[in-house]
Amino acid sequence: MGILLKIENLHVAVRDRLILKGVNLEVGDGEVHVIFGPNGSGKSTLAMAIMGHPEYRIVSGRIIFDGEDITEKPIDERARMGISIAFQNPPKLHGIRLKDLLARIASENGVGEKFLEMVDKLNISREHLSRYVNVGFSGGEIKRCEIAQALASNPKLLILDEPDSGVDVENLELIGRFLSESLRNRSALIITHHGHILRHLKPMKAHVLIDGMIACEGDPEQILSRIMRDGYRWCERCRLMRGG
Amino acid sequence: MQIDEGRLREALGKPAEHGEDLDLDEFEREPGVRAEVDEDVKRRSLEVGVDLGKASSLTTFLQVDHEIAYRAIQKQFQGDIELMPIQEAVEKHPWVREHLWSLVSPYADKYTAYNALKPAGGFFLRILEGRRLHMPIQACFLSYSPGIIQSVHNIIVAEPGSEACVITGCTMRRRDQRGLHIGVTEIFIGPGARLNYTMVHRWGPSFHVRPRTGIALDEEAVLSYNYVLLGAVGSFQSKPSAVLKGGNAAVSMNNVIYLDGSSRMDLGGDCLIAGRGCRAELITSAVASGRAKLAVRGRVVCEADDGRGHISCRGLMLSDEAEVYAIPELVSRRMSASLTHEAAIGRISEDQLVYLMARGFSREEAESIIVRGFLDVSSLNLPIFLEESIKKIIDLAVKGF
Repeated sequence: MGILLKIENLHVAVRDRLILKGVNLEVGDGEVHVIFGPNGSGKSTLAMAIMGHPEYRIVSGRIIFDGEDITEKPIDERARMGISIAFQNPPKLHGIRLKDLLARIASENGVGEKFLEMVDKLNISREHLSRYVNVGFSGGEIKRCEIAQALASNPKLLILDEPDSGVDVENLELIGRFLSESLRNRSALIITHHGHILRHLKPMKAHVLIDGMIACEGDPEQILSRIMRDGYRWCERCRLMRGG
Repeated sequence: MQIDEGRLREALGKPAEHGEDLDLDEFEREPGVRAEVDEDVKRRSLEVGVDLGKASSLTTFLQVDHEIAYRAIQKQFQGDIELMPIQEAVEKHPWVREHLWSLVSPYADKYTAYNALKPAGGFFLRILEGRRLHMPIQACFLSYSPGIIQSVHNIIVAEPGSEACVITGCTMRRRDQRGLHIGVTEIFIGPGARLNYTMVHRWGPSFHVRPRTGIALDEEAVLSYNYVLLGAVGSFQSKPSAVLKGGNAAVSMNNVIYLDGSSRMDLGGDCLIAGRGCRAELITSAVASGRAKLAVRGRVVCEADDGRGHISCRGLMLSDEAEVYAIPELVSRRMSASLTHEAAIGRISEDQLVYLMARGFSREEAESIIVRGFLDVSSLNLPIFLEESIKKIIDLAVKGF
């Protein structure tokens, strides 16, 4: 299997503050990886830097996607190459109805009417579809709407930024079940602070981000159970043991 | 109403309270060329939502310059409505004369005075008691001959319990044409009647527009008064005023504006709540680009118990040379009244742009999606075909975005 995403020694700053301090990461075709890390460790920064958000400045290092160096490429070009993200805190879009946006994303990516099946599976109601994007959505509705938008472009790589934060049990189960089906034959990077989504998803590899660097990598279940038991302090020690 | 010609002549020198003052002598009284309903006229009409191709199947009134070029009532509505030139209506129903100038004062300013002295057409529309029309009635006023004043007077009477939707499109044959449109419209909504009155206007940079509108609502009457203006206008000034006389009447004035070039627009709305439990709302969404300048004046006065009023103005700035000026006014004379206003003027948010670009849209596409969203008309409760056609018109008008 080929490498879809390769991140080399990535340093990223937001305004003038350096957040990522040398991240290395590889995701193969069809692989689902999870990124753990405490608040402020740089998880969302990593997600935004891969997507190409202009506020996240790449200071040094490279991002290779699908064999191409995309470090300098703008966000929309990366999206058209097959990178897609479900945002954690998306903005409200007054006047733009969810169904119109989904239909347009789907049609531009040759997905056509098939997005409607996805909408059904995500339990997005007609009433929800007719509302303005993210205006008056509940936490669970935002997550489901983000996942629907991110998948409507049929991406090669799906980045999920905290798909399980602020989501009730029913929504978590629904999202988890849906994702485990949608991520067959697709690469994904799932960012999660507390790992609830792993009750429904079985990623093949976990990376722990501490203070802007990957502190530890390995089997997701093992790592999550250590975090649950000992907290992220365990990883901090682990990084020291690995020589940081 | 008895009109005093001496006072009218005096009022001819009176500028309007707001907006650029025009010298009426700079315009022609009579058309210099004879109008024809040609392909240009059809295309322009369609741009303001009036489909002359469907004139045989829809109730239609078309006035080109001073001439009534077409009028027809579709078969299924015959006996439900009356639609005719205002002159004819005055002859047919003597009571129509009582309605003329009862809601708009002919002495208000030079434009009303000119209109009263030199009326040239307009329609009378009457929706008979209890009749509910499921198809819209379309009226179109088009300026054909360059440089003229088109001065029309319309009367709309929605009788008790009736329901209808009226679309009026106003435009001109050539975008670069000079001219002045003075449209006086008086709307009477009877008890329990519901009317959706939607205007779609497209003008040009040398064209001037002074609509004068008065509205009266009886008890339980409901009016949705929608104004859509797209593109450039030399100057525009209007302040439609509604009196909610009967209990529980409701009026919603919605303005959807996309202004470009060096347009000057002064758009108001004035609602007087005089009946118990009435509701009035003035909602404006305006996009200002180029060197366009727009003032939005909303005013709600409440003089009756349990009245509710709301003014909202959202402005989107697409240029540093444009200007949006929002002036909401609320006057309450009742403890039980609830009056609110909100205004927000800003640019396209970078967060929204980046969000859409992350979905694969280019910056230009993302801007266009946001501007079109800003001009969303789907909350105006228009008939579906009208909503679709206005969306298409907006798409055309904001093509650069």
